[in-house]
Amino acid sequence: MKIILNDKEITVQDGETILQVAKQNGYTIPSLCYADNAKHKSSCMVCAVKNQQNGQIIPSCSTVVTEGMQIDTESDDVKNIRTLSLELLLSDHRADCEAPCSIVCPHGLDVEQMLFYYDEEDYPSAYAQIDKAFKLPDIACDNCKAPCEKACRRSTVDTAVAIREIIHEVVNHNNTKETTVSIDNKGINKKLFQSKLGKFSNEEKERLQKTVHTKSRCLHCACSGKADCKLREYSTEAGIKRSRYGVSSSLPVMQKEHVKGDLWFEQSKCIRCGLCVYNSTNGFTFKDRGFGMEVVIPEENKANATEKLADLCPTGALYLKHKKG
Amino acid sequence: MACNCENNDKETLELTISKVDAIIERIGTQRSTIIPLLQALQEEFSYLPADAINRVYEKTEIDRAQLISVSTFYSQFRHIPYGKHLIKVCAGTACHVKGANNVYDSFRRELKIEDKSVTTEDQNFSIEKVACLGCCTLAPVVQIDDKIYGHVLPGKVNEVIDDFLEQENQEEKEEAKKSKTRVPGEIRLGMGSCCQASGSTDIYKQLQQTSDELGIDVTIKSVGCVGVCNKVPLIDVVDENSVITRYPNVKPEEIKEILHHHFKPGSFFKRVKNKLFNEIDTYHTDQTWDNVIWKPENERTGVINTFLSEQKHIATEGYGYLAPLNLDEYIGFGGFEALKKSLSEYEPNQVVQTILESGLRGRGGGGFPTGKKWELVAASDQTDKYIICNGDEGDPGAFMDRMILESYPFRVIEGMIIAGYATGANKGVFYIRAEYPLAVKRIRTALLLCKERNLLGENINGSSFSFDIEIFEGAGAFVCGEETALIGSIEGERGFPKQRPPYPAVAGLNGKPTLVNNVESLSQISFIINKGQQKYQNIGTQNSKGTKVFALAGKIRNGGLIEVPMGITLNQIIEDIGGGVEGGQKLKAVQIGGPSGGCIPASLCDVKVDFDAFNQMGAMMGSGGLVVLSDNDCMVDMARYFLSFTCEESCGKCTFCRVGIRRMLDILDRLCTGKAVMEDIDKLEELANNVKKSSLCGLGKTAPNPVLTTLKYFRHEYEEHVNGLCKTGTCKDLITYTVTNDCIGCTKCAKACPVDAIPYTPYELHTIDTDLCVKCGLCIDECSYDAIKKVPLKDSVLTE
Repeated sequence: MKIILNDKEITVQDGETILQVAKQNGYTIPSLCYADNAKHKSSCMVCAVKNQQNGQIIPSCSTVVTEGMQIDTESDDVKNIRTLSLELLLSDHRADCEAPCSIVCPHGLDVEQMLFYYDEEDYPSAYAQIDKAFKLPDIACDNCKAPCEKACRRSTVDTAVAIREIIHEVVNHNNTKETTVSIDNKGINKKLFQSKLGKFSNEEKERLQKTVHTKSRCLHCACSGKADCKLREYSTEAGIKRSRYGVSSSLPVMQKEHVKGDLWFEQSKCIRCGLCVYNSTNGFTFKDRGFGMEVVIPEENKANATEKLADLCPTGALYLKHKKG
Repeated sequence: MACNCENNDKETLELTISKVDAIIERIGTQRSTIIPLLQALQEEFSYLPADAINRVYEKTEIDRAQLISVSTFYSQFRHIPYGKHLIKVCAGTACHVKGANNVYDSFRRELKIEDKSVTTEDQNFSIEKVACLGCCTLAPVVQIDDKIYGHVLPGKVNEVIDDFLEQENQEEKEEAKKSKTRVPGEIRLGMGSCCQASGSTDIYKQLQQTSDELGIDVTIKSVGCVGVCNKVPLIDVVDENSVITRYPNVKPEEIKEILHHHFKPGSFFKRVKNKLFNEIDTYHTDQTWDNVIWKPENERTGVINTFLSEQKHIATEGYGYLAPLNLDEYIGFGGFEALKKSLSEYEPNQVVQTILESGLRGRGGGGFPTGKKWELVAASDQTDKYIICNGDEGDPGAFMDRMILESYPFRVIEGMIIAGYATGANKGVFYIRAEYPLAVKRIRTALLLCKERNLLGENINGSSFSFDIEIFEGAGAFVCGEETALIGSIEGERGFPKQRPPYPAVAGLNGKPTLVNNVESLSQISFIINKGQQKYQNIGTQNSKGTKVFALAGKIRNGGLIEVPMGITLNQIIEDIGGGVEGGQKLKAVQIGGPSGGCIPASLCDVKVDFDAFNQMGAMMGSGGLVVLSDNDCMVDMARYFLSFTCEESCGKCTFCRVGIRRMLDILDRLCTGKAVMEDIDKLEELANNVKKSSLCGLGKTAPNPVLTTLKYFRHEYEEHVNGLCKTGTCKDLITYTVTNDCIGCTKCAKACPVDAIPYTPYELHTIDTDLCVKCGLCIDECSYDAIKKVPLKDSVLTE
């Protein structure tokens, strides 16, 4: 069978999708709601392409090629649609990619990551983080005005996390002054798209104050799934700085729910693609409809979920807690 | 005495379980039965109690994930207990433009329902807004349990509640004895949902009671809709000489008079007695001088005649004289001839060919050629095929399908059986909105009657063709009007539309070829077969053949259900049939096609009714709601109204529809509250165009139409809103109320004000405390001196 892809005639196999055909011919089409070898239903429209015969915009991930089809995957028109769909998803995405403390640290310390180890009482790893960032960990932050503490989101809830104190504590705890673990510290890549959570409402502040009881008091704003977040990757590629439609969501912000084993679920990062719903049996499910549609997992169904679902999730909504990037 | 609560709890649980088990036994245990199962549970418990649901998990294939997914998708299902009575305030288009929001607020205030609750403290009433009750000509409409109230004014909600409670306490009177001698002639009374809402039930009872009392045993026949909804209750009296006299807007107290006028009682004694009392009555009460029967013929029915004269009845043939469920009568008027003709004279492919040549296009909205669909389904060689009649009329402002199903059930059934024969299908499904209980009831009875006569079932009418039909009640989701979502819901899933191809004609219900046709399309079939495709083709325009049924409502003098030939202009419909805009206001626009359609401005209302002509204007035939808008209606508010509907009704699957519509609505919200900037208008337009282009199903592709058409024809109103001006005074946040010097201090407004924002100051110029004022408009309605005005907030700031 022959089709025309970006004005070039190519031969394709019956049953192949436009996405597959484009990939074979060297065109990359982004896609969020699609995953290889998994059940899916087209929804995100990030893989939009144009049928040149009737001008229709179609999802390439589920449209099967037909004889004589003329498809455009590269024009500005198509790319604008993809960008807009990303912007719309981001407008409903009240979450931080990186923690504000890590972004502002003049020494490039991934503060949130260090606090994560601290909260896990993994002092060697926490120390390793500090050691990477500072030549003299002992006096690491002594002369710093601590923009991290000023940027700390916890300060908008009650008071900021005492970051400098914790750094001292970690350093003192590590008597040997030697790094015993090697940490792959990439630092914060400021060239990447940064999703920003925005301000907490009073109700949210109250909830967070009552529910977050980590040792450091850190809220852990940074996204645990950022390393393989496709939403961020494509937003960066599309050159998006922020959504033109503002950010407002009906999903509960920063509500991290333990599912099973190492698997956690943070609803506010969900783009409702449904991959976890379609690929679990009596596990995740949709609730409600319209803008308020959510993906949820009832307590009784948690046993039916598998950690593999974290790999399917295109964002950081479903993540493995100890697979930090 | 020791408490035995625990025992009680145990007993209740056991009782619940036994009830649930009985329901499961009756309905089934498969996943696909979830919707009927939940409907039955809700019917039993009035909501879905956790104990009942847990039993469902234990006894059926339905699991928690499916149950949550489905039960939260459809708006019919409730997860919390409601009060004893449910008040449904219609928020359809016609009701919206006539102030449904104020009615809703009034009910909440009157019943003192707290802000976050929907139920009164004494658990007596719960309240909710519903998409459309389909009684648009009686707007604003409210339904309490099964009783519908029309023309509900915000200031009169207490009367409605009182009336309801009174009714509830009244005991049904014993049925009076029937007299022996039946008089020739009959009385016909429309008994559709709207007619009943306007008091036809009372008239019916009164007719029976009075005829018993007077000994006039005349046949009282409830017939289908005449369509003149604002003239109901409407009765046609057929006397012994078959002369028909028509009485519109009949009141119960007039019944006696009418009966006397036309009929003589069977027994001589009663005749003398009646005559005597009648004479005395006539001369001794004032009221009889203004009685309906003294009015000249023209005054009584003139309006109805002009209303009907421009119409052409195909789907609604037999209006006003066919009793909906009288099969003999339907057959007597040529019913089922088309089926017999098809079975005995035509091969299936000839039937398909006839429909194809007739030029009939689907009446559900898109206007896809019906014959083409039939051809596709007929072409498949699979043995199992389905016909689905799409009666999920969810558009606010439309009630055509309900009227057709209620009034002409046999015609739709006949159309369906013929479709089955033509395409080689043996199974049919009626998909009807659960909000249309009377339609469901009548279709159910009609199906039974057809089965008794072998018009349905094995070897229909002695032929080798067998066909059976069942009913599926929709559970409240506008998106299920989309055929793939509709099929999904029959299969027990959320109503997510599926990507096409494959089309349902190839792989539909249970993966089998499925023909999905709209109610109105199917009701045209028998005419085409009986009269021939040529005759059908002669009606209408080049590419739109036949007739179209419209629900004419909004700011129109004579609203109702009309059937007109394609090609008639909108102006003709409004002026000639509808009698012009009500209250002498000026026509501003016509909203056509509901949330998928658009607003056509008055200047373009010479457009002919035609699928393609409407599409070119950015509107859409849709299923056929026609809501007339006057100079008092705000077009930005109109766009916001439809968007808030589609935002709620979007299935939520795809980005552009789920998030895109919400973001458009955000901008419209800003416009209506004076917080928008000029740039927002362009943003809105860009977003609307992209949502239209990039949505995957019909709902998303058409949802931006109300915005795009109002932007196209009424952009200046958007700009005015950016500047803080809503000329019509519709957008509450942009206006304030003031009292002018015309006020004489009569205190009527002060008494009417539900929030005491107007102090009680007799003989003084009244004042309004704008901090307290909720802008409900009750004072304006109440004031006899037109002394309360809505003024733009901005101006009042400027003049201060």
